[in-house]
Amino acid sequence: MPYSSLFRSEEMSLIQLYIPQETAQPTVAELGELGLIQFRDLNPDVNAFQRAFVKEIRRFDEMERHLRFFDAQLTKSDIPVRPLTGDIRNIHARSAQEIDDLEEKIIEHERRITQMNDSYETLQKQYLKLTEMKFVLQETRVFFDEATSRQDNIRNSFDEPTAPLLEQQDLEHGSESLVLHHLNLGFVTGVISRAKMQTFERILWRALRGNLYLKYVEIDEPITDPETDEVLEKNVFIIFAHGKELINKITKISESLGATLYPVDSDPNVRDNNSTEITSQIEARNSVLQNTYNVRRTELLKIAEDLNIWMTIIKKEKAIYHTMNLFNYDSGRKCLIAEGWCPSNDFDKINQALRNATDQSGSTVPSILNELRTTKEPPTFIRVNKFTVGFQEIVDAYGVAKYREVNPGLFTIITFPFLFAVMFGDFGHGMLVTAAALYLVIREKKFEKGISDEIFATFFSGRYIILLMGLFSIYTGLIYNDCFSLPLRFFPSGFQWHGNQTDAQQIGVYPIGIDPAWHGSDNFLIFTNSYKMKMSIILGVIQMSFGIVLTVYNYTYFKKRLSIWAEFIPQMLFMQCIFGYLVFTIILKWSINWNERDNNGELVHSAPPGLLNMLIYMFLQPGVVAEEDKLYPGQGFVQGTLLFIALICVPWMLLTKPFIMRRDHKKIRSQGYHNPQMDTTRVSTDEDNEYGGAVVAEEMFEVEEFDFGEIMIHQCIHTIEFCLGCISNTASYLRLWALSLAHAQLSSVLWDMTLKPTLGMSGVLGTIAFIIAFTLWFSLTVFILLLMEGLSAFLHALRLHWVEFNNKFYEGTGRKFQPFSFKLILKDDDH
Amino acid sequence: MGGWNIIMIGFGASIFIALSYISIPKGPNQTTIRTSLILTIICCYLMWAIAYLAQLHPLITPKSVGGIHHEELKF
Repeated sequence: MPYSSLFRSEEMSLIQLYIPQETAQPTVAELGELGLIQFRDLNPDVNAFQRAFVKEIRRFDEMERHLRFFDAQLTKSDIPVRPLTGDIRNIHARSAQEIDDLEEKIIEHERRITQMNDSYETLQKQYLKLTEMKFVLQETRVFFDEATSRQDNIRNSFDEPTAPLLEQQDLEHGSESLVLHHLNLGFVTGVISRAKMQTFERILWRALRGNLYLKYVEIDEPITDPETDEVLEKNVFIIFAHGKELINKITKISESLGATLYPVDSDPNVRDNNSTEITSQIEARNSVLQNTYNVRRTELLKIAEDLNIWMTIIKKEKAIYHTMNLFNYDSGRKCLIAEGWCPSNDFDKINQALRNATDQSGSTVPSILNELRTTKEPPTFIRVNKFTVGFQEIVDAYGVAKYREVNPGLFTIITFPFLFAVMFGDFGHGMLVTAAALYLVIREKKFEKGISDEIFATFFSGRYIILLMGLFSIYTGLIYNDCFSLPLRFFPSGFQWHGNQTDAQQIGVYPIGIDPAWHGSDNFLIFTNSYKMKMSIILGVIQMSFGIVLTVYNYTYFKKRLSIWAEFIPQMLFMQCIFGYLVFTIILKWSINWNERDNNGELVHSAPPGLLNMLIYMFLQPGVVAEEDKLYPGQGFVQGTLLFIALICVPWMLLTKPFIMRRDHKKIRSQGYHNPQMDTTRVSTDEDNEYGGAVVAEEMFEVEEFDFGEIMIHQCIHTIEFCLGCISNTASYLRLWALSLAHAQLSSVLWDMTLKPTLGMSGVLGTIAFIIAFTLWFSLTVFILLLMEGLSAFLHALRLHWVEFNNKFYEGTGRKFQPFSFKLILKDDDH
Repeated sequence: MGGWNIIMIGFGASIFIALSYISIPKGPNQTTIRTSLILTIICCYLMWAIAYLAQLHPLITPKSVGGIHHEELKF
């Protein structure tokens, strides 16, 4: 079996499994651990409620609900759940008995927890009432004391011997509407949340037209409401009013505003008694509460130990029954029939898993695996590892490859970071990016365990992309000879200034990258401008031509011989005749020494011609090149011929394929073949099925009717798109030029504006200025040049791959392989 | 000196390409490693060659007014 590669998606087979009913559950569990089969739904007409294993799924749903309840309780009590250790493969239910036990255990735990919660809540409510009462007694004592002392004053000044009469009066009256001595006042006491105090006061004032005397005191400690767990600040209030009716009114208003009323005796002795009683009650409640709390906590701690294990088991079981709902049941032979896609390379593994399941369950009847022949389009499965997954995701975001189509992901691994680096090229910036990525890569074991921050998680998942982007940026920075916009001098410069000359003399060629002599010269930008623009065109044309070459692999693989010479060859010729020729002239112009002089001291060549004008006049005046604009002899003829070939390619692309297809179709027709019937179905169980059990039917692929008009329109669009695309895509590669110039300029400006002026300073002031400037420079380098510029270069590189490269050969119309795998199911649920 | 360097280095690069094609051992990642190496060599060579070629016969040479130069990092 050949190794699968990133070049094409894996070969897939449609398989059929016969699983004996008694071993169905363990077999599916084993396949779920393996995670290599994407099961097809064999009962698409049956709705979710009528499927075979709905009862079991409900049961697990119920258990999951209990577990989520535990989880909520645990979070509420701040108890951490013990994380899963070891392989999740080992966590599974071994038998139906185990599941039953687990269910019993869970229900028992739930019952106890709810019971304890209930009693705890009642206790807490009582506790709350008692504490509020305590506060009311405490605070109202002040009011009463005030009131009595005032009374005493009045009384003392008035008549001394009435004292016994007063006491008698107090005894006579009830607790609520007590008459305070000869002032006939009743009162209401209670507790209300502080936020409502103002409203409360205002309403009372309005309702009673000011006939009341309201006092309130803030309770110092906040009070927790046991029902909502809210911590509230509350006030104790006391309202004096005149007459029973008013007192009733106040009571009603208070209750409607959510105040709790606590009757208080006006007799200080009774109040004192109440007070001591309440304090002792509070103490008793407190110890009971503490007890209940402790018992509940131990129970929850016990649950926290196993919760994740139970959750995993139940999720797996639920997934198993969901999968089994997709199967067909053959009641005659007591077996389940499953159909699904799997990688053809992995038959052995699947067979092994089936055998394991049979052995473990002690059954004698083995499961059977059949490969089916089908015309259906299989799903696309590309095996990735932690390094390639990021690059493949870049491609998948554009479109999942058609089955067995050439996968651009393989080339993206290098071309993506490279094009990024062409725009981002700077030695120093590349170093920083590489260092950051290396940190993520080296610490990946630690980070994998869980990242809560979403932005950081994105960076982490792209760590290998960033690493390669950084490495390539170091290289392109070396070629651009930029390190934080400063030149590096590894070799002697190829230019020299003689005396007072402004223009340097060329004495050699700088071996690697741009000569440092260019940095800081007046015409630096003029040079890099031309160099980077031409470089973008060259790189773009090469990448696009490579994309066109890749179509050949698709055409040969899918046996489309016709497309090779009716599409690939004219496309390639068109591209090379115009843009390949442009690249050729760029290189030619660079290789000619325009300053070369002959023996008489005359220039050998005329002035160098502009290439852009040359390209424009190639179309405007085909076959004619003015003598002074010539790059080489015979240029007019060559250009005329190339243009002619390019023009011929257009009808070649447009017409050959449709007309040849029509001729072939007619030939077949004339031989008497017709399209097969449209609605053929395939019965995939064997013929000796006497019990009339499972009939697995599958619609055949619809055979497309030959429609010349449609093919013609399609080809027309395709041709126009390609020809116009060649021009616009080449222009699109100029973004490499623009972005790399912008990056170099930005970093140079940043250097000149921040660090450069402080380098010349000396003394303490100079050091301080340098430190400030350095901080500014470094943070701006990181945020603007690395993050923002990096993001923009990333997006442009992305576009160049999605549009300019992929549209040459990539269809991206496939659907992704989604195997039944516990690992994926458990991972999905985590997020 | 001159254009030959580009051709010589290009020749060297193709030797490396051939070597990386042959030398990668069989395995599930053979294609990936091989393609990545070859593409890396091609990309780096192109980048270098274009920069070298652009300076081979420069139409303009650096101009400096009054000999003032940009500061340079020296190694």
